[in-house]
Amino acid sequence: MRIYLDHNASSPLRPEVREAYGDLTELAGNPASIHRSGQRARRALEAAREHIAALISADPRDIVFTSGGTEANNLAIFGTAAATPARRKIVSSAVEHSSVIEPLNALKERGFEVVMLPVDRDGRIIPGGALEAIDNRTALVTLGVANAETGALQELAPLADAIRNCGAMFHIDAAQALGRIPLSVATLGCDLMTLSAHKLGGPAGIGALYVRDAACLASSILGGPQERGLRAGTPNLAGAIGFGIAAETVAQTLADESARVAGLSERLLARLFEMVPGLILNGPRHDRLPSTLGLTFPGVLGESLLLALDLEGVEVSMGSACAAGSVEPSHVLLAMGRTEAEARSSLRLSLGWSTTAAEIDRAAEIIARVWRRVANAEPARRAPIAEASR
Amino acid sequence: MSARALVAMSGGVDSSVAAALLREQGYDVVGIAMRLAPESAGSIARRRSTCCSHDDFEDARRVAERLDFPFYVVDLRADFAHRVIDNFVTEYLAGRTPNPCVRCNLEIKFDRLWERARAIDAAFVATGHYARIVRTAEGRFGLARARDLAKDQSYFLFTLGQAELERTLFPLGAMTKREVRDYARRLGLRNADKAESQEICFVPDGDYARFVERAAGPVSPRAGNVVDDAGRPLGRHRGIHHFTVGQRRGLGIAASAPFYVRELRAASSEVVVAPREALASRGLVASDVRLVSPDMMIGGSIPIEAKIRYRHPALDATLTMLAADRAEVRFNAAGPAVSPGQACVFYRRDEMLGGGFIERAL
Repeated sequence: MRIYLDHNASSPLRPEVREAYGDLTELAGNPASIHRSGQRARRALEAAREHIAALISADPRDIVFTSGGTEANNLAIFGTAAATPARRKIVSSAVEHSSVIEPLNALKERGFEVVMLPVDRDGRIIPGGALEAIDNRTALVTLGVANAETGALQELAPLADAIRNCGAMFHIDAAQALGRIPLSVATLGCDLMTLSAHKLGGPAGIGALYVRDAACLASSILGGPQERGLRAGTPNLAGAIGFGIAAETVAQTLADESARVAGLSERLLARLFEMVPGLILNGPRHDRLPSTLGLTFPGVLGESLLLALDLEGVEVSMGSACAAGSVEPSHVLLAMGRTEAEARSSLRLSLGWSTTAAEIDRAAEIIARVWRRVANAEPARRAPIAEASR
Repeated sequence: MSARALVAMSGGVDSSVAAALLREQGYDVVGIAMRLAPESAGSIARRRSTCCSHDDFEDARRVAERLDFPFYVVDLRADFAHRVIDNFVTEYLAGRTPNPCVRCNLEIKFDRLWERARAIDAAFVATGHYARIVRTAEGRFGLARARDLAKDQSYFLFTLGQAELERTLFPLGAMTKREVRDYARRLGLRNADKAESQEICFVPDGDYARFVERAAGPVSPRAGNVVDDAGRPLGRHRGIHHFTVGQRRGLGIAASAPFYVRELRAASSEVVVAPREALASRGLVASDVRLVSPDMMIGGSIPIEAKIRYRHPALDATLTMLAADRAEVRFNAAGPAVSPGQACVFYRRDEMLGGGFIERAL
């Protein structure tokens, strides 16, 4: 039996979604077609939109389907930059996902001023610094509400007034937060919000951007009037339906499920603290996604530990899935003031709807045992452990 | 439970067959591909292909899938740059001719990879090298040339000692390359007919001099004089890193008889040339010497055959240990030019006794 602790990379498809996929009569038509099949498809698409909107207390008309969180982030950033040519400044933070950082780097090359706000040791943006950076040249403030690697939650609502007063757009990347903590676009005061289906047990390849005012955004994909002209192309209907069902399921269970998952991750953390001397939790102790444990394991390379754990049936990750293939240590941990060696000794364990208490107990035992073995296998790095166990 | 073997896989036919053979023999095989060479600078397309897409290891991945064993790619680029490439550059700057494959075996495959093996509880590390591990009557481990002498790679493995050999497997040692290819075809491996890789992996275009210049930057070797034995200038050269002892081409001097590089002097940027006869050496001194069975007495001498380059035939010689890790090798007849930096490996018939890095010619 394998224990899957990588829900932040992708959460397994929920049974409710799998069930619905057995009978997809709506899929016979194109939602843009006039005939009955088209109408049925359209109804299914709109029902999905409603469920997703409900999860963030938004108007369904403001939900624009995309191919996923990455496209939603790209649309938010490039779309705003193109729609407000007079403003040439963008404010973001040092701990964002690569689908935010890379578009910002591209804009920087085109002459935009990009301010990357620093974070404290827990990976949280210092609100004062944010307020200082925002001015009337600012086109966009783009920040993640929950960090993919550490689960750190940002206090974003207090920034909304200042951003609005400056006339800037406020984009929140909620790909990791959706379905894991309650979210409301009104409470957060944002103009744009990135959503992703497969982090909450929907299918991969579908996401959405909440867009409060379509006039403030320019489309980058042209070729049709779909999605209010912001995202041309026949929508991914099967994906949207799956996203909708996952959203509906989550809406009914969010409070219970996040409490349950929080309990499990606390239990896992407590066990690991007991059995792995010198273990460090990355990110804030509280104010975190209930699902996410970013951990620095003393005296081992994260890569070696990950591999050894996989062979023992425990699946974890080194960080954001797309950063995992690169040689660079996590930019998130480095921004938090951690050393390169610490960053390379870190793993992310993320729990979710399918995680059980029995799995957690087994995982804790396996992780501690395998950590000890890996630590002893790499004598060059043994010193810190001896220190830690003293 | 069967013993676990970590198999270093490159995606080539040799390591694929090595993994398949071990799987067939009942080992609990775990395949590991190592990312070693840095991506060429400025190649965004290649850099971006590192995540979730087709990569150099796709063939190895397919083999693992087909034979149903776990496979991972580990990133050893930092270690490789530090321990192999830096050494390669420093050696060239010092007027020596390094052998990075030997360094890689020493520092990466049988060191860093061994750490990974211990981490996953593997009893053995296996590779697709053509060499045989043998057990002597006294219970010691020895290393012998491969059955396929044309493919024999024992030269690159002289750094392995008893502790390593005990836990290393070379499944291809008793096979010919042809048999390996046939086996791969029978298994339906896509890479059965894949071309051999010949160049040094981190210098795919084979232009070592340019690589050294790019890596060394401002401390790149300067231009200097080509001189004869008496120090008389015969011409100019673009830096000693363009040359190897014994080299004839590219000297850029006009002379009645062909001249060969006899010596590279880093301090004065001089390339010393001489006619072929003058290059003959009587032997060499090797340092950082390792012996497979470290029981040779210091001061003791034994007859050996010495290989001073991978592709050179072995020369009859006498080996004398000067210290625990330093040796003198005297050729029985006059030998060819000796390139400092290269490995000199000692054999007695099929048995590989050990080797060292050539310090200087005698």
